[in-house]
Amino acid sequence: MTSPDAVETGAGDAPPLLRMSGIVKHFGGVRALRGADLTVGAGEVHALLGENGAGKSTLMNVLSGVVRPDNGIIEIDGVSVDLSSPAAAQHAGVGMIHQELDLVPQASVMENLFLGREPRTRLGVLDRAAMREHATSLLREIGVDLAPTRSLSSLRVGEQQMVAIAKALSLDARILVMDEPTSALSDTEVERLFAMLPRLRARGVGVIFISHRMDEIAVIADRATVMRDGCDVGSFEVARTPPGEVIRLMVGQPIEQLFPDREPPGSTTRLRVHDLTVTPSTEGGRSEPQGVELTVCAGEVLGLAGLLGAGRTELLDALFGVAGQRMTGTVELDGEPVRLSDPRAAIAAGIGYVPEDRRASGLVMKESVGANIVLSALPALSRLGWRSRGNEREAVTSSVRDLQIKTATPDVAVGTLSGGNQQKVVFARHLLRQPRLLLLDEPTRGVDIGAKSEIYRLLARLAADGVAVIVASSEMPELLGVCDRIAVLRGGRIVSEFEAAQTSQEDLLAAASLEQDTTSAVEAG
Amino acid sequence: MNAEGTTTSEKASEAAEPEGTEGSRRRRLIIPERFFTFQSYVALVLVFLAAVIFSPRRDGGIVFLDSDNLLNIVRAVSEIGILAVGVTFVILVAGIDLSVGAVLGLAATGTASLMMVNDMGMALTVLTILAIGLTFGAAQGYLSARLGIQAFIVTLAGMQIARGLARIWSGGQGIPLAYGEGPGLAPETFALLNSRTFNGTVPIPALIFAAVGAIAIVVVRKTVFARHIYAIGGNERAARLSGIPVLRVKIAVFAISGLLAALAGIIHAGQLNQGSPNDGMTYELDAIAAVVIGGTSLMGGVGTVSGTLAGALLLGILNNILALNNIDTNVQMLIKGGIIIAAAGVQTFRSRK
Repeated sequence: MTSPDAVETGAGDAPPLLRMSGIVKHFGGVRALRGADLTVGAGEVHALLGENGAGKSTLMNVLSGVVRPDNGIIEIDGVSVDLSSPAAAQHAGVGMIHQELDLVPQASVMENLFLGREPRTRLGVLDRAAMREHATSLLREIGVDLAPTRSLSSLRVGEQQMVAIAKALSLDARILVMDEPTSALSDTEVERLFAMLPRLRARGVGVIFISHRMDEIAVIADRATVMRDGCDVGSFEVARTPPGEVIRLMVGQPIEQLFPDREPPGSTTRLRVHDLTVTPSTEGGRSEPQGVELTVCAGEVLGLAGLLGAGRTELLDALFGVAGQRMTGTVELDGEPVRLSDPRAAIAAGIGYVPEDRRASGLVMKESVGANIVLSALPALSRLGWRSRGNEREAVTSSVRDLQIKTATPDVAVGTLSGGNQQKVVFARHLLRQPRLLLLDEPTRGVDIGAKSEIYRLLARLAADGVAVIVASSEMPELLGVCDRIAVLRGGRIVSEFEAAQTSQEDLLAAASLEQDTTSAVEAG
Repeated sequence: MNAEGTTTSEKASEAAEPEGTEGSRRRRLIIPERFFTFQSYVALVLVFLAAVIFSPRRDGGIVFLDSDNLLNIVRAVSEIGILAVGVTFVILVAGIDLSVGAVLGLAATGTASLMMVNDMGMALTVLTILAIGLTFGAAQGYLSARLGIQAFIVTLAGMQIARGLARIWSGGQGIPLAYGEGPGLAPETFALLNSRTFNGTVPIPALIFAAVGAIAIVVVRKTVFARHIYAIGGNERAARLSGIPVLRVKIAVFAISGLLAALAGIIHAGQLNQGSPNDGMTYELDAIAAVVIGGTSLMGGVGTVSGTLAGALLLGILNNILALNNIDTNVQMLIKGGIIIAAAGVQTFRSRK
């Protein structure tokens, strides 16, 4: 008669679901991984932490067969595996959910789920009925209520992610890697994603979760591994470790204060917006500003809060002239009315904009760091259209120094920099024009904690110099930490305003999500 | 590991990781980016050497290396080369210009017609034709940039329109040029286009081609305009949000392409002593081929004018050596196709940033 204890012990002795040990990888002369270890158990949510450039993505690329390691052992269930290609990794049970989802937007949910292995009838014709049936049960299994025939592009990012997860599971993934899955999601969608995790646990799936957001790691992860300089520097039980200790492991030194002290803002009105409304374009799908009233003083930082789709980006776009002719209402800068017919006019009026998606809207990836920095300032740095290399070099050097952009030389392609440093390049471009008003959309998305702190300090400095700043962010603590005032948006309208010092995350969330129940009911239906 | 070693590896890994995250496939050979800059020159040198080796010999001399032959190659590619320089600008903003061959035909026809039928002087003829090319290109640029019609479609239509206009202009006939004083004759000076300078050594069209190439290289290296072109081709949205006048720049590159096509058309009329609406048929494809061989990406944002010049010369040498060896023109087409594929194939090893 074996006691239950014995069974337990037997299970404890079983090899872990995944063990990666001593993984080494060089790119050219650069050592990206120098003996990294990672162990993940079945049914465990394992957070992988570390600053950008610490080697997290490379390690996950090794696991998903995209990158071949120079050295090291990978074992799944104690058996050594050779993950020589993405197909081999998939076969071994590794599923990867990328930040940019590998799905076909034009195709339907079920077509995506069964891409390349579509069920066929005996005649070799596509069996749509079987496809729909399988798809429905697959989605139900992870608790997602989606019609399999909907086109993927009609889904929101969070829902698309669910489809990607369902697809990975249908390929019998036992190890699921999620690379910053929540960075593009609204709070409701994040909740839905997290609600799915217990089901994955129950199936014995090991989830590796890459994130920069400490708050969510504390909520969902069982264990965590911190990476630094291509090595793992510690693994721990999340519940038993204070956040300060985690940050210390990540950066190697404690950050005393994430948010800098701010000087009180001035009292001269810099920006006054009256009845700003944008007629929706024919494409639709955006919450354009409706009757927005807004003032920002010189030296003031105004936050824009709101759920995904509340119209934060749309408002910033409009203030930068992106909406062009579709915009009505008045915008005054320092008492002077300005016509924001296009971004060019906005820049000429002294407005700078650091957009949300730096890859798509901010940087010219093929070009050098320097070329990206001077892009807006070229006419000012040149004479009659002829470039002055001297002027350009001077501007670039001082920007790199001023913003502490970490780059080998300004001549390397901007795509080789880490996320935080790429973001600083976009900042530098607009700061060269010495803006009176700076618009920032999710300025710290995908940026590690060290760079975050530097960006906050930069904001404080700019405000102290008298620049008016508007920051849109989905991270409430960030807004509370850096802003003087916070305006909450819903459906393109400003629904309430708070003094940052006298409000809380709960207040903001309540203001942002009022009527949310009815909206989500509509979306679900 | 000492402290200094740690810092270096930290910096290094920071630089390396983003590359690793994107498609690091097995075929990612480590080829320095610099190679791609010189790719077209390497290819040019290889084709040149091959031409020397396979050249027929006469009286112990290598026919290919004869200075007359070499200059003749430059003359022969001058029209395609000038077209290709213009097309390079368009392709750098991720556009395409299929109309250049037809605009060349329109310009050649117009040149002949204005001088022979309308008795227009040479200077005025040239300016009129250049203005027509410029306007034609600018109009295409406007349609594609402002109305958002794909450049491929706009210039495909432009190709038809230019040919149509040329046919209407000349009544569908070629107009031969006869030189001399008086009505119904073209000015003698125009015949210079068919002659050689520097004691009869350097063909005038080759000289014009070289000048166009040199000016374009300076423009690309030294002007803000060129930086704007690369930024638009690399990321149009980012360029717009950086305050670059995207519409103006796009119209300008198509205008340049039209202008240079008209210039090539004038040279064409001078070299053949006639202008015909059928002139320049499929030249646009050779021009695009020269641009691609020159390492310019059809996705925009990457490429050089000097690469295009090398690409044009490469095509010229190829035509020349095959002709010297009396190889069938049909076989020439096969070889040209192979070289284009090879040039584009090498490009795929470039990192996909």
